Amino acid sequence: MIWEVFRQKKTGEYHTHCGNVHAPDREMAKLFAQIQHGRRKPTNSLWVVPQEEVGEVDAEETSFGGTTDKSYRWSTAYNIEPPAKEVEESANEQAEAERQRGDS
Amino acid sequence: MSSTAAAPVEDLDDDQREAVQHLLYRLGDDEFVAAERYTEWQVRAPTLESDLALSNIAQDELGHARLWYDLLQDFGYDEPDLLFERDPETFRHSTMTELPFEEGDWSDAIVRTYLYDVAEDLRLEALEDSSYGPIRDRVGKIQSEEDYHLEHAESWLDRLASDDDGQRRLQEAVDRLFPYALTLFEPTDPDVEARIVDNEYRTEPLDELGEEWLSNVVPKLESYGLDVPISEDGTITSADLPPEIGRDGNHMDDWESLYDDFTQTYRDLGRTEATTLMEDPS
Repeated sequence: MIWEVFRQKKTGEYHTHCGNVHAPDREMAKLFAQIQHGRRKPTNSLWVVPQEEVGEVDAEETSFGGTTDKSYRWSTAYNIEPPAKEVEESANEQAEAERQRGDS
Repeated sequence: MSSTAAAPVEDLDDDQREAVQHLLYRLGDDEFVAAERYTEWQVRAPTLESDLALSNIAQDELGHARLWYDLLQDFGYDEPDLLFERDPETFRHSTMTELPFEEGDWSDAIVRTYLYDVAEDLRLEALEDSSYGPIRDRVGKIQSEEDYHLEHAESWLDRLASDDDGQRRLQEAVDRLFPYALTLFEPTDPDVEARIVDNEYRTEPLDELGEEWLSNVVPKLESYGLDVPISEDGTITSADLPPEIGRDGNHMDDWESLYDDFTQTYRDLGRTEATTLMEDPS
């Protein structure tokens, strides 16, 4: 049986997926996960989840971004010069977020 | 490497020095030799996960051996003196740690680690208040890793005992290993053992540790429906022990080949000193 392992580095952070272990049950999965995924990296907490319990939706089933133009959602779509202070801040924030996502 | 804190070695008289050294050799040699054997399971354990778990336990035990050998260096020895150029007959580990595994028998590894780790927990407790500061200071660090070892062994015991085939294998391992496990509690030398306890380097005598160990492991093994090969009233006599005790320097033939294995590279490369990668352990 395969158990997916999620590691949290520090209190308050998300548990992020880091791999899996083969184990017959939850207790052994936790023991093995400690060795394989907790020991060599900063770890505050580990989750083990039976692989079969993970629900998946993939890109073949659905179009994650939607299909119609929704640019009205983004402040960068509103090009009025000079922009209001709030709009400019929001635009900068948006541009930064896009940059971080690798969209631009 | 040697411990940098003011080593109280100078405060000991000759008898006390002998006692502390005996104690440290028992501790270090048990850990080192047990780890050497455990590593034989590498790439041979039943699954990748079980392989990594036991390898990590071996690595922990090597780390513990290093902590104890480091304290022996305060008495003027270096690493080759303690391991690579040491006369194999002067090693004082219990013969359970040198006994080869029954080939491919995972239940041997599990029963062995279980018997050893319960004993180790008890002896560490008896060192928590050691009058020898450098020993006392290192106990906590080791204990924090030992919890995992015992949990690992007990988890496997639970699962192996859950079917007939596993139970049969466990019984064979218990029959084979139990006499050797008893050597964990044999003194190196009765006079020195008395000195270890009188000076409170270890606060409990070996026979009491042994009784505590029996009262722990026997009911546990019996709860799995296993028979423990000792007399009804639980008294241990020399008839229960294997011919080689290990503690007194009397070892099995298998020890010689294990010793040759771990010293081989050192000899082949013509080394006269050990390479050190890390700072002194503490």
